[in-house]
Amino acid sequence: MQTTPAIPDTELQADNLRRAAIDKSVKGPVLFLFTNGAFWLMLSTLLGVLAAIKLVEPEFLGDCQYLTYGRLQPAHINALVYGWGVQAALGVMLWIMARRSGQELKGGKSLLITAGVFWNITITFGIIAVLMGKSTSIEWLEMPKFVWPVLLVCFLCYAWPIVRMFSRAFRPEGFMVSTWYILGACFWFPWIFITANVALHCLPGLGAIGAGIDAWYIHGVILLFFVPVGVGSAYYFIPKITGQPIASAQLASAGFWSLAILGGWTGMQKYMGGPLPAWMSSVGACAGVLLLIPVCLVGLNHHLTTLGKHSAVAASPTLRFIFFGALFYPVSGLVLALNSAFWTGANLQFTQSWYAFQTVSVYGFFSMCIFGAIYYIVPRLSGCEWLSVRLIRNHFWFSVYGIGTIVIMSLVAGWQQGVDLNDPDHWDQTFMNHVINSRPYVVSRAVAWALISFSNLMFLLHLLLMVAGLGRRSSAPTLLEHDHDDHALPHEAHA
Amino acid sequence: MTNFRTFILGLAASFGLPWLCLIVLPAMQYEQLTPVAYDKDKDGVEGFFPPAPVNGQGQLVYIREGCNQCHTQMIRPVQLGLDGWYKGWGQDQEARPTTPARPNVLGDYLGEKYALLGIQRVGPDLANFGWRAPSKAALYQHLYSPRSVHDWSTMPAYTGLFKLQKIQGPISEGAVKLPRKFAAPAGYEVVPTQEAKQLVEYLLSLKKDYPVPGQAAAVAAAPAKK
Repeated sequence: MQTTPAIPDTELQADNLRRAAIDKSVKGPVLFLFTNGAFWLMLSTLLGVLAAIKLVEPEFLGDCQYLTYGRLQPAHINALVYGWGVQAALGVMLWIMARRSGQELKGGKSLLITAGVFWNITITFGIIAVLMGKSTSIEWLEMPKFVWPVLLVCFLCYAWPIVRMFSRAFRPEGFMVSTWYILGACFWFPWIFITANVALHCLPGLGAIGAGIDAWYIHGVILLFFVPVGVGSAYYFIPKITGQPIASAQLASAGFWSLAILGGWTGMQKYMGGPLPAWMSSVGACAGVLLLIPVCLVGLNHHLTTLGKHSAVAASPTLRFIFFGALFYPVSGLVLALNSAFWTGANLQFTQSWYAFQTVSVYGFFSMCIFGAIYYIVPRLSGCEWLSVRLIRNHFWFSVYGIGTIVIMSLVAGWQQGVDLNDPDHWDQTFMNHVINSRPYVVSRAVAWALISFSNLMFLLHLLLMVAGLGRRSSAPTLLEHDHDDHALPHEAHA
Repeated sequence: MTNFRTFILGLAASFGLPWLCLIVLPAMQYEQLTPVAYDKDKDGVEGFFPPAPVNGQGQLVYIREGCNQCHTQMIRPVQLGLDGWYKGWGQDQEARPTTPARPNVLGDYLGEKYALLGIQRVGPDLANFGWRAPSKAALYQHLYSPRSVHDWSTMPAYTGLFKLQKIQGPISEGAVKLPRKFAAPAGYEVVPTQEAKQLVEYLLSLKKDYPVPGQAAAVAAAPAKK
């Protein structure tokens, strides 16, 4: 009770009761989203292993037409983005917003669960359809046409109560940077999603502009949905666990608004030198590099907030995941800038570095932050503590090493591919050199996804045990060091 | 509550501007595009640009199989990459073309629902594949068993686009010719299905380097009929 010594016991108790009531009100939907998300994550990483193997050895598992690389890769990415990413993000958004605005979720719980069920059923059909050969080949929107209206309605079912809670909150105490980010995510995602789907599925055909819109959509979902949710939860949990206020309000506000202003401009640089009007890809490239500004502002702010409390990073599973997630944020900004600037982008275009950007932002940054949040939220909802320090540790280390390997290997492979493509010695050769040179990198990608699948299997089992209420019965949180020492982290125990 | 309103207005303004400039206006402009007639005197050719739409049925097979995961359809200008100089990547099939294949423009993809510019370049670019395509029989062989063409190939074998059937009487005319190591079991033959035929038609129709009306470079590269 380091930070609240003056408050008498009764008031503290009332406060705890209020928090418990809020937690109880969102328990059902949030746990539903987390468990289903974890299943999809598991599936997605397995598909990632398979797709990487298929890219090296297409005869693996025979000539099965449902498992060619061209079908597996979209299934892998769609499961990661819609199955795990959006779903887990919604759970975290709902919980943080309820806590942050001090509001219980009033009514509509069954609607939320129904929306969640529909979300999962639709994605299941969508991904099966991709594997069966109904893919649209529009990156990140490969699932057939019928999928998107359902997903949109389900998303809005969740966004509505989140916004309602915010508007009902009567205490804008201090600044509310994590709520800004979460509100932003609620607001941007439907806009981007509707725009891209209407343009690509409903309009009569936009040719090359359509390809540009798709690239814009992917960057939009990453920068204006995954990034805000990840940064928002980092802004919520870092101060909470270190017990220090956010270092600078100005940095926080500048970081948010520069992301909001730049995020919508980027994307079309993916087709630099292509058929799109040149100004569109140039604007995208500029914004892609300028995005280093919000990235650095947020990174600096997180760094200053954690400063001096690094022992907590070692001890608290939540902070450990979020700390490393927050470290991956500048890395993903850097990868984006490398892919965007014409100087390096010309070399990295159409190579694996594109995959590096997607994985570092969706898994390296966003998912690590969400894991941290889940390690904090679930014990409060299920009323028991995480069972095993070892499982959490393994989950952490395999994830960090796995994703680190994928990102580094994909970047280096991308550079290699670019150099091969632009090597004048290859201009009259077959593609043999390119194929053979990129092979080892894809092998390492397969191994890394296998490690990550292994870590996520542990995460999934651990989560299922918790949801079933089979966790440890204790008032002390599961910490990675100090072996359940009550005094190490007072906030963890009572917040 | 005013705080909330300013916040939402700020979000709408900061995102609405790029949304309008990058998506809505270009899309509306694009909808107005129609094929352009060549000027016989200036361009030296007759007809319309782009001359013919791609084979739509075959493109559906290309889309369904996710070919764009590994094959691009976009030639970059020479300052960004070597694409234009690659042997056979343009109309000129010479080992040392005099001019590089031209970079693609918006009009090249007119009439396509979604331009399959591609995600990665694991395999060669296909924007102008129609010019360099081997015979249909060789294409069928490549689709059915890529490794019988290049033993290092990582392209999947699209056996689903072909039918393995018992030989009745003489071997069918369209049967895929395969080297002995990859041949069908004795008494059987491999014939392309309708889908494979459409896909091959589509691949043969990929010629995205017709001269652009009004561009000087286009005149220099004016085609000799193939």
